[in-house]
Amino acid sequence: MATDVSPTTAAPTEQPKRRSAGSLLRSMEIDPRLLGMIVALAAIWIIFQVASGGTFLTPRNLWNLTVQTASVGIMATGMVLVIVSRNIDLSVGSMLALVGTAMALLQARILPEWLGLGHPMIWVITLLAGVALGAVIGAFQGFIVAYVGVPAFIVTLGGLLVWRGVAWWLSSGQTIAPMDPRFSVLGGGSNGTIGGTLTWVLAVLVCVGLIAVLVNGRRRKKKYDFALRPLWADMAIGVVGCGLVLGGVYVLNQYPLPANLAQRQIEAEGGTYTGQEIPLGLANPVVIMLAVGLIMAFIATRLRFGRYVFAIGGNPEAANLGGIKTRWTIVRVFMLMGILVAIAAAVQIARLNAATSGLGQLNELYVIAAAVIGGTSLSGGVGTIPGALLGALVAQSLQSGMVLLGVDAPVQDIVVGIVLVTAVALDSIYRRRVT
Amino acid sequence: MSQVTIAHRRRKSLPPGDPHGYGEAADRSDRHPEEEGSSVTKRRMWVLLPIVALGLAACGGGDDGGDEGAATPEETGAAGGGEGLTVGVSWNNFNEERWAKADERGMLDVFGEEGVEYISTDAGSSVEQQATDIENLISQGADALIVLAQDGTAVLPSVEAAADQGIPVIAYDRLIETDKAFYLTFDNVEVGRMQARAIYDLVPEGNYVFIKGNSADANADFLRSGQEEVLTELAGCEAITPDNPDPNCPIKNVGESYTDNWAGEVAQQNMEQFLTQNNNDVDAVISSNDGMALGVIAALEAQGLAGSVPVSGQDGDAANLNNIALGNQAVDVWKNALELGRVAADIAVQLAGGTTFEEVSLTGDYGDSAPAAGPDAQPFETPGGTTVWSIILTPIPITQDNLDVVIDAGWVTQDEVCQGDVDTAAVPACA
Amino acid sequence: MTATADLGAARAAPSGTPLVEMRDIRVAFGGVHAVDGVTVDLYPGEVVALVGGNGAGKTTLIKTLSGAHKADSGQILIDGKPVSITNPRDARDLGVETIYQTLALADNIDAPSNVFLGRELRSRFGTLDDTAMESETRELMSRLNPRFQNFKVPVSSLSGGQRQSVAIARAVHFNARVLIMDEPTAALGPAETEEVRQLIRQLRQEGLGIFLISHDIHDVFDLSDRISVMLQGKLVGTVNKTDVTQDEVLAMIIAGKQPGDVTEEDIADLHR
Repeated sequence: MATDVSPTTAAPTEQPKRRSAGSLLRSMEIDPRLLGMIVALAAIWIIFQVASGGTFLTPRNLWNLTVQTASVGIMATGMVLVIVSRNIDLSVGSMLALVGTAMALLQARILPEWLGLGHPMIWVITLLAGVALGAVIGAFQGFIVAYVGVPAFIVTLGGLLVWRGVAWWLSSGQTIAPMDPRFSVLGGGSNGTIGGTLTWVLAVLVCVGLIAVLVNGRRRKKKYDFALRPLWADMAIGVVGCGLVLGGVYVLNQYPLPANLAQRQIEAEGGTYTGQEIPLGLANPVVIMLAVGLIMAFIATRLRFGRYVFAIGGNPEAANLGGIKTRWTIVRVFMLMGILVAIAAAVQIARLNAATSGLGQLNELYVIAAAVIGGTSLSGGVGTIPGALLGALVAQSLQSGMVLLGVDAPVQDIVVGIVLVTAVALDSIYRRRVT
Repeated sequence: MSQVTIAHRRRKSLPPGDPHGYGEAADRSDRHPEEEGSSVTKRRMWVLLPIVALGLAACGGGDDGGDEGAATPEETGAAGGGEGLTVGVSWNNFNEERWAKADERGMLDVFGEEGVEYISTDAGSSVEQQATDIENLISQGADALIVLAQDGTAVLPSVEAAADQGIPVIAYDRLIETDKAFYLTFDNVEVGRMQARAIYDLVPEGNYVFIKGNSADANADFLRSGQEEVLTELAGCEAITPDNPDPNCPIKNVGESYTDNWAGEVAQQNMEQFLTQNNNDVDAVISSNDGMALGVIAALEAQGLAGSVPVSGQDGDAANLNNIALGNQAVDVWKNALELGRVAADIAVQLAGGTTFEEVSLTGDYGDSAPAAGPDAQPFETPGGTTVWSIILTPIPITQDNLDVVIDAGWVTQDEVCQGDVDTAAVPACA
Repeated sequence: MTATADLGAARAAPSGTPLVEMRDIRVAFGGVHAVDGVTVDLYPGEVVALVGGNGAGKTTLIKTLSGAHKADSGQILIDGKPVSITNPRDARDLGVETIYQTLALADNIDAPSNVFLGRELRSRFGTLDDTAMESETRELMSRLNPRFQNFKVPVSSLSGGQRQSVAIARAVHFNARVLIMDEPTAALGPAETEEVRQLIRQLRQEGLGIFLISHDIHDVFDLSDRISVMLQGKLVGTVNKTDVTQDEVLAMIIAGKQPGDVTEEDIADLHR
């Protein structure tokens, strides 16, 4: 079977009407699964918009939604690589509890004693220490998986029990609050955003970046004399992509600082408050999530490390025979997961402005669900970073939407569970039809 | 996860040559004709005997049994009325702030004085685990049990089995629907009433949000019913529940939900959604406990409403008491869990010594927490219609005016409470 | 010593320094001697077929050369110099390339990525240069398998023959001097098998040394210059193809009998 599914298409003059939607997508080199997820997300949003009488798609709710997604989204990008490499990490929630508790103790109890309350370096030291701790724990688990040979399921199941126990031992079950004021802006809130102007700047940069990637892609292909995507396809992607980014930012920027805070801010700057609206811009957790997403996508597709993770997931024996240091790669995968957990922990404790003993409870399930809904296959070798972010957004949209509709917590769980299984079922049906 | 310390030693270990424990069956030569008969059996029994003997010796000779650093002395100086008695405590989930800090400490104080041995287990929030734990405590020789139920209905069979074996059970803080358990708690309905009273004083009319506890916990509904009782009475309404709102009521219910596991993060999300739904037009929030109140305050803070929208709570967590001082939380109903522990120990010693439920009468001085109805056991009508014997302690509402109560009781330090930008004029305890 | 330019004609016994010498190689798994003191060698521009029944130890022997498994004892020499091969990278660095029976392809990534697996081309920023890898792979394929077109799909969606081409491309692209091929035609149809045979002949002409593991006696006689037979971990013997008949080789494989010791009766037995 040597079917010629060439990435090139003939010029539009060659009987365009005969082409099906599938080949149209293929000619644009867009992953149909990703597109399917975007369609599903749009459907969910529209359903909730109608059911909630128009509250769901308001700038405010969408803004809240992005913040609520951040923590799981950050971790889901790491979970993709873990699952792709044919492993799993069940300890994510407990790790988060431990790293979060440690960071809370550092900034609320330990550092203020050494440096004095409110010292400007407290948040930096805390964050770095947290990331280091996450990396160490992750590397430790990775070492046991890769070099000692214990299956990841077991190692991280042990971690799930152990790390939470250690966290409790550190805090004696107490709630640690409040967080350092500079640290707590990492969690969003009214002073934890980047402001409207900066958001627009970022959006324009992303748009320009997208166009640059498309242009560069064409240039390289021309250099090697490859067949190019048709120009109309590239332009369509550019337009739609930019449109989504700029449009999304426009909508989010409609959500302003609450009136009383706006008043305070304007008067503090010496002006008079006449009802001006100050756009909040993207919340810090969201900026962090997007930055993490970009970096992780880069790692997964443009660095050797990412390629090796996928190779190990596809055929570990082949990876070994190809001279890849598979065990070291696995250690790094888990270490990366640990770092991302630490970042998510920082976001979570900053958001609640406290570290409770229930921190991160059940997070591992949501993170795995996000990755899986986003197209990561549990048998390894397949998964995308944007998919995981979308998966997190889908899961969170469901939950937030249901709260908005006043749906009871147990019913919420039922719905999320059904959606998870449906998403995976659809994905495997699609895979079977294509291959 | 369970931290049973010695129960496992009770399990009989099988002799090496007999992995399936066919020791006895091998004796019957008709079953295993190819066996060499009685000589094999005798050898096995000789191996078995010392092992069983060791096991019994290990279990019978008492031990500390306690966990979480609770080094219980086996004998104490005072010839207390409880010497020789053992009380077992089944915690539902030791992973929360107050149990080790307060309840257990209070119990150990009294057990220490009375010379009672203390053993305990932690069910790690698992209903199944708690059933096993209760069995274990009984087999470890507990003369009375104190049970903090993970689920007041699911634990019934274990509790009734214990009672049937003649071991009295105290339902600690959470209701267990059976008259075979002695109900000891704070007046949770009163907690709800106190929360509602304090908030109503600040906001006699407007939009209220109710952040309730875990739906599987009977206390969540007790609290809500107390809140409802006071608000309807003071505001002169028929009902403030979402499903049959009274149109003439000055108080409007604009949001109500249970909160999984009483978790702060969940409360924060729910509060964000309620604020969105109502476009920030919320005037007061009745949060049933402190953990959730933190989430509510974080959500209000993001909208610049912290401090101007009063929030209630319960438990007296240090972070929340600090929020009271800062003005972000209006009231924190404090249940002196130290006293609750002491009372539980007091009752347990009496019950283990043979006192019946009816005859229970408190022997200590419990200050402001003492039961409003006096030291004797009182009948209590449960929501399920059962009448149980009970002691109901009195909670204390803490506001900016009386923070000194918690500080003086040694519950928190002044530093913890007065952290941050506290207006000392409004908070005398921080002056 | 007649050296003919005729493709497919056997050569006489080679002389000079062997390209590869494997001396007294032993590999044991637990108590089982998978390879028990085997010595073989390979000269440039020749094909040595390694044959034997199941469990003879041929794959294990060859894995010590390809770096997939470390020999317990014995010596390997390349160009007369002793070398240490402890992992696949060592083997590759010495110019030894292997096409495994399972092909060792990562199914979820595309052909160029597989060809360059472990040896990726990178741009000056250190990122993967997928375009350059695709370009080189296209060039390779135009010589090896001109009909190959699917450069961007995961190799799991390619046919058996196409996957074989990818594995071959990977083996020949990096200036190999020694090529190990483990059952290269086992899963192929007749047309593709002929292509592989052509390739082997061509590579041999170019001066590569090829170790060929095959169970197809016809292929062995068609392609190889010398035949090394293994039985239960031991080397039965190495013979020139021109000095033996197929039956004699079969007797070596099945019964371990030296060619001179094979009788008419044995041959009759073989064919029963």
